[in-house]
Amino acid sequence: MIVTALAVPFVIGLLLMVGRARVSGPVAAAIGAAAMTVSLLLYALVWEGRDVVSGEVDTSWIEPLGARLHLGVTAVSWPFLLMTAFIGVLCCLWLVARDTAPALVGLVLVISASSLGVFSSLDLLLFFVFFELALIPMWFVIAWFGTGDGTRRAATRFLLFTVAGSALVLVGIVVIGLDGGLQVDETVTGSLAAAVLVCLGFAVKTPIVPLHTWLPDAHSTAPTVGSVLLAAVFLKLGTYGLILFAPLMDRFADVAPYLAIAGVVGIVWSGFACYGQDDLKRLVAYSSIGHMGFVVLAISTRSDVGLAAAVFGSVAHGLITGLLFFTAGSLKDRFGTASMAAIGRGLYGRTPWLAVTFVLAAVASLGLPGLAGFWGELLSLRAAYEIGDVLTKPVAWTALALALVGVALTTAYFVRAIRLVAQGEPVEQDADRDLDRREAVVLGALVVAVLVLGLWPAPILDLFEPFTVVAGVAR
Amino acid sequence: MNIPIDWSLVAPAVIVMVGALVALLVDAFYPRRTWLGSGLPSTGALVVAGVLAHVHRDDIGRLSFALVAIILVGSLFVVVASNIMNFETAMPPGEFHFLLMSAAAGAVLMVVARDLVTLVISLELLSLPSIALVGLRQGDKVAIRSAWTFFLASVVSTAITLMGISLLYGVTGSLDYVEIREALASPEVPQSVVAVAVVLTLVGLLFKLGAVPFHVWIPDTYVGTSVMVAGFLSAVSKAAALGALLILVNVAFPYAYGTWQPLLAVVAAVTMTIGNIGALRQSDAIGLLAWSSIAQAGFLIAPSVALLTTEGLTAPVQYLAVYALANLVAFAALSVVLRLRGSTRIDELKGMVRTDPWMGIPLVFAALTLAGFPPAVIGLVTKYVVIRPVVDSDHVWLAVVMGVNVMLGLAYYLRLVVTLCDQPDGEPYVSPSPPVSVRIAKTTVLLGTAGLIALSAWPDLLLRHLP
Repeated sequence: MIVTALAVPFVIGLLLMVGRARVSGPVAAAIGAAAMTVSLLLYALVWEGRDVVSGEVDTSWIEPLGARLHLGVTAVSWPFLLMTAFIGVLCCLWLVARDTAPALVGLVLVISASSLGVFSSLDLLLFFVFFELALIPMWFVIAWFGTGDGTRRAATRFLLFTVAGSALVLVGIVVIGLDGGLQVDETVTGSLAAAVLVCLGFAVKTPIVPLHTWLPDAHSTAPTVGSVLLAAVFLKLGTYGLILFAPLMDRFADVAPYLAIAGVVGIVWSGFACYGQDDLKRLVAYSSIGHMGFVVLAISTRSDVGLAAAVFGSVAHGLITGLLFFTAGSLKDRFGTASMAAIGRGLYGRTPWLAVTFVLAAVASLGLPGLAGFWGELLSLRAAYEIGDVLTKPVAWTALALALVGVALTTAYFVRAIRLVAQGEPVEQDADRDLDRREAVVLGALVVAVLVLGLWPAPILDLFEPFTVVAGVAR
Repeated sequence: MNIPIDWSLVAPAVIVMVGALVALLVDAFYPRRTWLGSGLPSTGALVVAGVLAHVHRDDIGRLSFALVAIILVGSLFVVVASNIMNFETAMPPGEFHFLLMSAAAGAVLMVVARDLVTLVISLELLSLPSIALVGLRQGDKVAIRSAWTFFLASVVSTAITLMGISLLYGVTGSLDYVEIREALASPEVPQSVVAVAVVLTLVGLLFKLGAVPFHVWIPDTYVGTSVMVAGFLSAVSKAAALGALLILVNVAFPYAYGTWQPLLAVVAAVTMTIGNIGALRQSDAIGLLAWSSIAQAGFLIAPSVALLTTEGLTAPVQYLAVYALANLVAFAALSVVLRLRGSTRIDELKGMVRTDPWMGIPLVFAALTLAGFPPAVIGLVTKYVVIRPVVDSDHVWLAVVMGVNVMLGLAYYLRLVVTLCDQPDGEPYVSPSPPVSVRIAKTTVLLGTAGLIALSAWPDLLLRHLP
């Protein structure tokens, strides 16, 4: 079942790329959306409960290395998988427009499928293969379909940073593989080198300050679907990697304090960086660094609350940032730029539905209770307050204090953005146009998801309540 | 000094040599000098040698057999793909095949050598014809200059190796690998002399591998000579040098561990870094492959820090097999490009995946294999394979250097890949109906690519059976 769920988007994606001259853009996008829906349904149906590995596939692959084709869905990966497939469907729906290039749909499918592969892998080498597989297609998405100057440079910088990180992860995987084998459910390592390499590698991907410099350019130059995939799915590869590897490494405790501090520094730093942004896409990009900071803080406690916080925070960020980037993309489609000054004030009066969606996404992102963003942040703070297994009280509580400052800053810059764009005296522009049907469907679906998770977080939290499952794999 | 000859070991090399002579004779006495006339005996000899080696594989030993197989398959690939030069009047077919096969015989001999005299002779048997091959094209001044560079560098390094060997002979009183090992095991041998002797002996082999600081001849030679000869040097010649190095160090020098281990570790780290940095600046695809092959030599040497373990011995060979195949595919594809378009500048390759997918896609796949990037899973797996022994022998720093170099390498392979995939400039290129010789070369490219794809789908195929 998992194999089918992976193969369908892969194969359809490749076919669309090969036969790009024979289909029109909207048809390709519709086919893509169908393929991702199949994948989403299969992943939803495969679930057998949180105490077992669902839909496990385990066959021999490279025996001399102890690598196996080992796929399965666990309590940790299931929310990530559903979120990724859901975002994949929406990206394809978004592309049902007249000027879509079929090749872009193909690339989106391949990227989504590779990410699904990462979340489904229970073998570290397989995990790594999928992890790398998505990168070059993403280069093409940014470089070929991006807008603005320097798309190639942004794409190359993104790729080289990520590959530098993943090369370190590869060395870390080698160390772990030598110590305990490559199977996630049985391996464990006492090596400090592995912990440092793996955490450093995923820190680039997540990203954690100061290894984030690839992110703003890549996110702001990429096309809308590229930004959405980067923020909603790619950053999650980093956090999921940390979540997956943390329990495998005994010496994670030595690295955790640095992770925690780097995470909260990221929260505060992104708050300041966002306050000065005029470009909406850049603003959302920088805000991602802050949200990832909360997730990293949660992971670094390596406690059960922290695990729940990290998973919930990642999924919520995926949906909310997806919504923000789709909204920003709508604005950019209309006004030709995502600059808040150029878009002008008073969207409430000019394009009410678009404005409401944007405001809802923004307040969700700043963590308003009742929306999805709230639970992830709250649980992260609780995890830091409870200190967890590996941090010390001074570190954890310092991090907590800084994170609280970050919460305030986040509120400040989003309120500023809302004031600049949505509120004020409307200044009509020719390009003012409210949501069309395609946008309404995509944004509406995300709004519903954000509301549901905000009002009823139980489906995800129940996976970890009473916070006993270790990394989702029942041992 | 009486060195016995073990015919089961030498037979494949002899057959290859016979093939070389037949190729030359056919060319001399057959009035119409054709490529096929000397190509067919060469092909036949390589196949027979392969069969013979397979029959005697137990005598040859698993490791040497794997190396012999890589060398013979690589040479076969070069011989068949060289058909691309069929109509070049400046390239004499008889001499070309004779020299190529002689060098191949030297390469085979090198990896079955178990004493230093055989090693030096086979090293020369590989080097001298290679030098002539580089400068073979008549009236080509660049090629002759390249041959000169190659010749001078080669002579110097061989001289240094000979000095090392004479020192070793002085210390141990023997030229046989096993006897040298036993002599070095005794605590009475002067350690400083042994250290110098070991380092000097390895120089010749490191030179052939193109390791820093003996790498300068590589870009010059590869760019100056015909494309398939460069392919031969990068795949077969390197395979022989690496194989000889592995066997020599493993069999003869295990007790000089303290000397060669740090040496190889540093050489590997510096080689891959300098090779990659050099490749970043290239604007010609051949130059890029030349520098990248220096970097790859670093990856080949790195796992030999753990040479005394089984894995340290097999990992480089597995990496070598994949590297050689990918490199040959790339060189063969570029030779076709050069023939049809007249240039291998990277800019000229723009959009090849769209205009000429049968050559563009193999090039992309070969570049991804060399970079170690999926979908070329086998490239990634072999990278994993060579990092493993390095980590296992507690050289985590070297493993991190390798990781960083994977990133550096991707920077230029990516440039090649995206140029190939890009929108072509202007009118799409329409290849004229190519002569049979070009089709033969294209077929080898496609076969090689098929091999790489098969290995990517089933990496077990390689890792279980080789060596």
